[in-house]
Amino acid sequence: MTALLSIRDVSVVLPTGGWFGGAAPLNILAGVTLDLMPGETLGLVGESGSGKTTLARAILGLQPISAGRVRFDGRDLIHSAGFKAIRPRTALMFQDATASLSPRMTVGDAVTEPFSIHGVAVRNHRDKAAELLAEVGLPPEMATRYPHELSGGQARRVGVARALALKPALVIADEPTAGLDVSVQAEILNLMADLKDRHGLSYLIITHNLALVRHVADRIAVLYLGRLVETGPTRAIFAEPRHPYTQSLIAAEPKPDPRKRRADLAIRGEIPSILRRPKGCEFHTRCPLAEDICRTTPPALKELGYGRSVRCHFTETTTEGGRHELEH
Amino acid sequence: MSSGGKFRVLRALLSDPMGALGLILVLLFVAMALFAPWVAPADPIKLNVMEKFQPPSLSHLAGTDQLGRDLLSRIIFGARTALSIALTSVGLAGLGGLILGMIAGFGPRWLDALLVLAFDSMSSLPMIMFALAVITIVGPGTGTLILVVVLVSIPAYARLIRAQTLSLAGADFIVAERAMGASSARILFRHLLPNVVGPLVILLSMDVPIVIMLEAGLSYLNLGVRPPTPSWGNILYDGYTSIRAAPYMVLIAGLPLVLSTLGFTFLGEGLRDALDPKLRRGAAR
Repeated sequence: MTALLSIRDVSVVLPTGGWFGGAAPLNILAGVTLDLMPGETLGLVGESGSGKTTLARAILGLQPISAGRVRFDGRDLIHSAGFKAIRPRTALMFQDATASLSPRMTVGDAVTEPFSIHGVAVRNHRDKAAELLAEVGLPPEMATRYPHELSGGQARRVGVARALALKPALVIADEPTAGLDVSVQAEILNLMADLKDRHGLSYLIITHNLALVRHVADRIAVLYLGRLVETGPTRAIFAEPRHPYTQSLIAAEPKPDPRKRRADLAIRGEIPSILRRPKGCEFHTRCPLAEDICRTTPPALKELGYGRSVRCHFTETTTEGGRHELEH
Repeated sequence: MSSGGKFRVLRALLSDPMGALGLILVLLFVAMALFAPWVAPADPIKLNVMEKFQPPSLSHLAGTDQLGRDLLSRIIFGARTALSIALTSVGLAGLGGLILGMIAGFGPRWLDALLVLAFDSMSSLPMIMFALAVITIVGPGTGTLILVVVLVSIPAYARLIRAQTLSLAGADFIVAERAMGASSARILFRHLLPNVVGPLVILLSMDVPIVIMLEAGLSYLNLGVRPPTPSWGNILYDGYTSIRAAPYMVLIAGLPLVLSTLGFTFLGEGLRDALDPKLRRGAAR
């Protein structure tokens, strides 16, 4: 099966200003390689500042990439013409759903806007809006509301309705549950799962919420300072995380029984500033296993089989750490 | 925007006594200017030297001037002069500022830098000095007056619109439009425009009285509207020269200036409060 979306060695480098051009350029993303199969849900996990949102924007051509290649459905996305063709087949859901809706446009106009943007003839805009709103469980009366009159959950549903208007193949969801009550979070996730089954969508879900990816993702990719550190099937990664960063993330997750938390894997300190990217392995400043080699040599991404790969010098050692996790 | 949204602003405006007073005064002056030929009791430029310097009476409600012209009629036609100049020039300047500001805020950075430099150079000139310089070169008249106001006011409007556009250009809903593949024209006109004009409308409304005063001031100096066309500034000057013979003239010519200034200022402030998204959101709940 060929990938719906294939990202190869994508880097995003921003020149930093400064009068004398002295500052080093910012490597927001450093050689990210990822595949997304049709019908798959991929969870992209990382802390704030890890480059998750930049990757999403690069995929959609909203952020120029400095190196690498993005292919969507076999089509190379290097020219703007390429992006034009994929626009109706991709959709982006924003972290702040209310802010992603034009403040002076009614909900009905907002959900049918994709049709007018792409010149798709719609016989009756009112009926079409009602149909789209019904699909996300909103009453047709919503069509006359303005974004500021919606609750967080309603705005999120409107965002989903707009994303689905043109029946896309890929939906990129940036923190789809951020800022919502737990009950509403569940509703939105169920709605997304439901629509995925009905329309055969693929999702790229960007989040720092591990419980969310564990619940919905088929596969996980962990990003640290713009570099992919671990990818693999969700179950396998949660059962046996191989990268010390993934291990710490999973160990840091709230547990029903706090005594079972692994103190030795607790993550230390803050994510380093991207302005001063650590030499060698980016994670060595916070890694419990770091040794001299980590401070000098960046590790390569190692294939572990079964669709898993990890970027660490001590893959063998970390396996044991993962075993402990299995016991929980 | 739907009609419901407009009515909400109007209701908010009328619920504020200052805003309501401003709206009434402005409507009064606009009606006076529009219906001048029907409202005015006499021809504003018809001379009748036999009846000069008549104090207010039943036949001449505001008296007559040094040439026997009916003052009330001159004031009413003066409203037409003042408002047509003020609204035309402020409207043109607002349109120019809107277009240039949106280009600066949304266009390429070199163009933005160029436009900002132009705005800054323009606004470093004092308005009255610039007006006098242009009048010296082009000669006095209505057209010159409008030209001066448009040139002097564009930078302030353009800067406001530019700042609004810049702050919205990176907003999520604009990024969402681009992700959906919307053209730049669509983003500019359907999404940026309705969200940046609000503050401009307020500023325009508050600038109308400044232009009315400028017109009156220049006409007073005989550098604005040419006599015998009635202008509040001309009437004021006539009143000043004959203040001993007809002291009521300056008062009568000054009154509409004060009232129209107050009216437009109150309206602007009322609009600002009525359009304030926070206040409006509070009212909507």
